[in-house]
Amino acid sequence: MTGPERSLESAVRLVWILRAALAAVVLGAVTGALSVVLDAPAWIGPVVFTVLFLFGATRAHLRYESWSYRVRTDSLFLDRGVLTRVRTVVPYVRIQHVDASRGPVERAFGLATVVVYTAGSRGADVSIPGLTPDRADDLQDRLKRLAIAAEGEDAV
Amino acid sequence: MRLTPLSIPYGAATTAARLGWILVIATFGSTQMPGAGPLVALAVVAGVLALAGLYQFARWQRFEYELTGDTLDIESGVFSRRTREIPLGRVQNVDTSRNAVQRALGIAAVTVETAGGSDVEAELRYVTEAEAERLRAEVGRLKRRAEDERNGEATAADDPEEEELFAMSPRELALLGVVSVDLRLLSLFSAVIPIVAPSLTRRATDPLFSLAVAAPLFAAGIVLVAVLASAAFSVGNFYGFRLARAGDELRYERGLLNRYTGTVPLSKVQSVVLSENVLARRIGYASLTVETAGYAPGDAGAESAVPLARRSRVVDLAREVEPFGEVSFERPPARARTRYAIRYALAGLLLTGIAYGVHRFSEFSFAWYLTLGLVLLAPLGAHLKWRNLGFAVLADHVVLRSGFWSRETTVVPYYRVQTVVETESVFQRRRDLATVVVDTAGSRGLTSGDPKALDIEADRAAQLRETVADRLQDSLQARRAERRRERERDLRAPPADRTQSSVASR
Repeated sequence: MTGPERSLESAVRLVWILRAALAAVVLGAVTGALSVVLDAPAWIGPVVFTVLFLFGATRAHLRYESWSYRVRTDSLFLDRGVLTRVRTVVPYVRIQHVDASRGPVERAFGLATVVVYTAGSRGADVSIPGLTPDRADDLQDRLKRLAIAAEGEDAV
Repeated sequence: MRLTPLSIPYGAATTAARLGWILVIATFGSTQMPGAGPLVALAVVAGVLALAGLYQFARWQRFEYELTGDTLDIESGVFSRRTREIPLGRVQNVDTSRNAVQRALGIAAVTVETAGGSDVEAELRYVTEAEAERLRAEVGRLKRRAEDERNGEATAADDPEEEELFAMSPRELALLGVVSVDLRLLSLFSAVIPIVAPSLTRRATDPLFSLAVAAPLFAAGIVLVAVLASAAFSVGNFYGFRLARAGDELRYERGLLNRYTGTVPLSKVQSVVLSENVLARRIGYASLTVETAGYAPGDAGAESAVPLARRSRVVDLAREVEPFGEVSFERPPARARTRYAIRYALAGLLLTGIAYGVHRFSEFSFAWYLTLGLVLLAPLGAHLKWRNLGFAVLADHVVLRSGFWSRETTVVPYYRVQTVVETESVFQRRRDLATVVVDTAGSRGLTSGDPKALDIEADRAAQLRETVADRLQDSLQARRAERRRERERDLRAPPADRTQSSVASR
């Protein structure tokens, strides 16, 4: 008994591409400035920017393609990752609390992220990006209810 | 309740000792200040002492704690007030520590840990020894009472019988000193010496001081110093180590100059870890760590259940804490070994490159090509790493093993699993391998490696991931059913027959 496999909103690619572009601009500008100071050829800065941007954009697309999650009977299942594929099982019994968060970039694209916290000690706080606000609220609510229904006995 | 008044002079003295020295050195060290004599220094120290004393007095006056029926309340803070209520049901550990001076004064520091948070939830510095003991017993008693009430039972007797599980013999203590030498450091030194020694002998003009004499002497010296240091450390830390079980909690005490005592509730155990380093494996000894969710990372040794004992005995003790059955390990496939061999060979080549660079571009010249020997050792290292990997799926536990220098076998009960994570890197995908990490709320994962099944067959990994998740659900259901049966039985039973069934089934 598992729920359907859900993917993210395709607009999340734009969020990730924008982030990659910002990082590429900063690094490109730094190398450009350095090339001026060190009398290096002037095309280095733009090249660094282009390479990083293309890399980021490709990665954003592949990341989106790789992402899926399922709301199963007694656990949440996530499957994502480009270079390293990560599949995580989060039993509802173990959910401590669920957040829905929206950063400025996400708001611009009308998206939200759901973050699930467990008591696990290995940074196992799991987040699902790229949801519409309605989907995020709906998922947050559902996970909360499932966590309560799972009769969280002493979680630790 | 107030802390003991003795904590005022003690606190002031420690502050003065810490700051006073810096000030004394500053006054004496500066030649610009004529007339800076012992009198000035004395005045400085006295001033610091007075200020620290004032602060400590204020701290003592503004610090109050109280054990209510189900919480520990603490009000503290000189400048900003803090009120904290800790529910006793959430308490993981109660520990006390006393250094030599504190023992002479008859005072102790008590720390109370709950899960979550990175630092200690409550720290009482300092109470009298009698009060520390009273707190420990009282917290245990109130917790048991709450537990019994939840199960609808009459409250059990006061402190339950203590049963000694393990006491460290002098022989084991001596062995611990030898075994706890950090082998990685030693082997590194021993490997570096023959490479560096030629340049050292060239510097020493005496022809008698030849490589043949210098290297072994040098190596022996380093080994001796390392052994002595670690022996002193382990003797200081684990002298008079004793582990006992009282009802449903473990109690330990240890230490030569600094005495530590503490409790670990068995109902809060997240996992048990059996560690054996190379030397310990040679002589058939092992140590045991009990993980709870309370401690902050870096509290190494705080939850050490058995510092060192015969392996069979350690396994028996581990089963006292977590009753797991016979273990037969599944190994990763042999192609995982190839990965490690390549990885180590690359690391060896990198080191050779660095050594050549140092030889070529610095004053320090030596036989850099000898580092190529490390590349030849790569297959051996890979095989040793691979041989010590393994995992086992038991009825109520999953067991994970890894490490050659220090092999750690982690036993995780299914009902303590928090999340299960399966990862496949690009390189693993090429060989159709994957890694499964079993996450618990234990705190050791922050400092040492995660309990994981490394580089197993990809489809076996997917299977393991689901098996662990499913068995977590099964074990939770079984525990719930067990509780329900217990409650029903207790309700039917006449009051006289109400035994400590809650203790028996944690």
